[in-house]
Amino acid sequence: MNEPSASIAVDALEPWPGTVAWRPVSPRLIVVHLIGVAAWTVALLGGLLAGYLIVRGSPWLWGMAAVVVLGVWRAVVAVRAVRAWGYAERDKDLLVRHGLVVRHLSIVPYARMQYVDVTAGPLERAFGLATVQLHTAAAASNARVPGLPPDEASRLRDRLTALGEDRAEGL
Amino acid sequence: MVEARQRLHPLSPLLKGAKSIAVIAAALSWNTLGRVGATDFALIVLGLAVAVGIFSAIGWWNTGYHVVGRELRIAEGLVWRRNRAIPLDRLQAVEVRRPLLAQISGLAELRLEVVGGSKTEAPLAFLTVRDATALRERLLSLSARAVSPAVPGTATDAPAVAEPPLFQVRNRDLLISQLLTPQAFFLPFGVAWVITQFVMEGTWTFIGIASTVTAMAGVLLQPIRRVLRDWDFRLFRGERLVVNYGLLETRNQVVPPHRVQTVRITWPLLWRSKRWLHLTLDVAGMSGPEPGDDRGSDRLMPVGDLTQARTLVAAALPGVDIAGLATSPPPLRARWLHPFGLRFYGAGLAGAVFVSRSGRLTREMTLVPYARMQSVRIVQGPLQRRLGLATVYADTAGGRAGEARDRDLTEAYAIADQLAARARQARAALVSPGSAPPASPGSAGTVTPSSALPASPGSAGTVTPSSALPASPGSAGTVSPGFVPSEAKPPGDPVDETYWQRPEQS
Repeated sequence: MNEPSASIAVDALEPWPGTVAWRPVSPRLIVVHLIGVAAWTVALLGGLLAGYLIVRGSPWLWGMAAVVVLGVWRAVVAVRAVRAWGYAERDKDLLVRHGLVVRHLSIVPYARMQYVDVTAGPLERAFGLATVQLHTAAAASNARVPGLPPDEASRLRDRLTALGEDRAEGL
Repeated sequence: MVEARQRLHPLSPLLKGAKSIAVIAAALSWNTLGRVGATDFALIVLGLAVAVGIFSAIGWWNTGYHVVGRELRIAEGLVWRRNRAIPLDRLQAVEVRRPLLAQISGLAELRLEVVGGSKTEAPLAFLTVRDATALRERLLSLSARAVSPAVPGTATDAPAVAEPPLFQVRNRDLLISQLLTPQAFFLPFGVAWVITQFVMEGTWTFIGIASTVTAMAGVLLQPIRRVLRDWDFRLFRGERLVVNYGLLETRNQVVPPHRVQTVRITWPLLWRSKRWLHLTLDVAGMSGPEPGDDRGSDRLMPVGDLTQARTLVAAALPGVDIAGLATSPPPLRARWLHPFGLRFYGAGLAGAVFVSRSGRLTREMTLVPYARMQSVRIVQGPLQRRLGLATVYADTAGGRAGEARDRDLTEAYAIADQLAARARQARAALVSPGSAPPASPGSAGTVTPSSALPASPGSAGTVTPSSALPASPGSAGTVSPGFVPSEAKPPGDPVDETYWQRPEQS
């Protein structure tokens, strides 16, 4: 039995260290998010550029600089946020953690599952990714795992439904 | 066997139409009356009334219901047909409601609460009282058979009318309790303000007065609405909770105890001198709480004292005694987030329920039975991260969650873990009543929770991994195995004994 030692720092993203096998989401999700950030930044820059061409003035340039800085910052956050996502399958429940600024950890028992969604947007599909979402009867329960390769997504879905089935209960 | 589809009572279109006409007349408002004059107004209303009546009659003709197997099927609609099947094992609660007109004509409306509906699904309006009651009994017995085959016979013992109620609100107390609300306190000021307005302006038009009164009624008459709604509140406890209340609109609601998702106890500020509190309970399917509305949660006790509350909570959540629920406050450093009233926050793991308390002025306590929990969440915001705190939520299908706010992070994980383990156990006990949880393989018995729950919240943010996380469901042996343990704590249960303190009880 380990003694509690100060060396094990408790982190909001690492509960029960050593006992839960966290699985990361695919790093390709970073690219998806970066493309999203880039598209957003380019759109804003385009708008500002158009404004600059119509009415010359330094505020437009300042705005463009701000957008670039914001875009870089968001890119950094996106990279770290994807690394913060994680999920773990335990015997009876699914753990999902996410979030950088506000950190979330959800523990959703398989028995409480009402249905499972597997979704993939066009960008996600292009990178061979899918999102699995587990729904319970409580609206607040939010167990969403993005950035899974399709095989892993369908494996997770099948496992979730299989585990959920034999415990059917009115509610 | 497929039984024939039945129609609603032939008077239903009239009654429903009457409701719509009242709504329309109200929508036209005083303004229109003033503009078009009384005769035209009457004509407009009459014309609309005929139209509404015809539509209602068509709707009635095409509406029918019947029970097929373990489903209630409701067909309705002429142009857009809808044929809805409600699996009765999903039934959460059933209410027989009798608005004023229905009381006069001896009819009743049957409302079913089903999970997933944003509003009450499939109100059957209207049936005769006898039909409604009979249908309700039938639906509930079918539902009970589907859910718990271990408890047969629930169908037969319908709540006897002669049986004295478990709890009854004296109407005098109800009146006083509603006088002790902010709205009632402000009513004199509101009236005085209106009167001075008119005296100052010196204009006394009928429309002006009527509009002001109507506008004031919306806000200030809420206590009166509550009095009318909760009038003659009686609660019976048979196999199920049966609640009767209402003056103008009587309601008779049946909630099977295993459908109770949360119970909330509230001590309003103004009631404190009377030592009164009120209880609400949540049933899945009633969407999130809407403030001030009569939807949302159900009343378990509109007003009463602690002794009565204890009886009622014990009736709704068997084995729970609210006088003996221990909670502990968040660590002292959480006062940065709650400068006032930190000590009114608290959370605790009792035998069968997760307890959380909050509120400085209006104190609230939320009880979430482990067996009803849907998921557990830990959320840590940026400020909380600086302080090493986190909030634990126990989500239920009722829309409300138990919250252990701003706990020490280590403790939050321990709570979440305990919640998950206890919920698992409670579910196991529900699915197979009587059978003990499986024996723990291996080292599950080695849980030493006292190290996982440091007595002083300030002690280093560390945790022993193996002790904080029961690796297998068997380790729940530290939790009492039964679904409804009494408040007598099992000897091995660490959380209640070594850590959680008693609440300040009066």
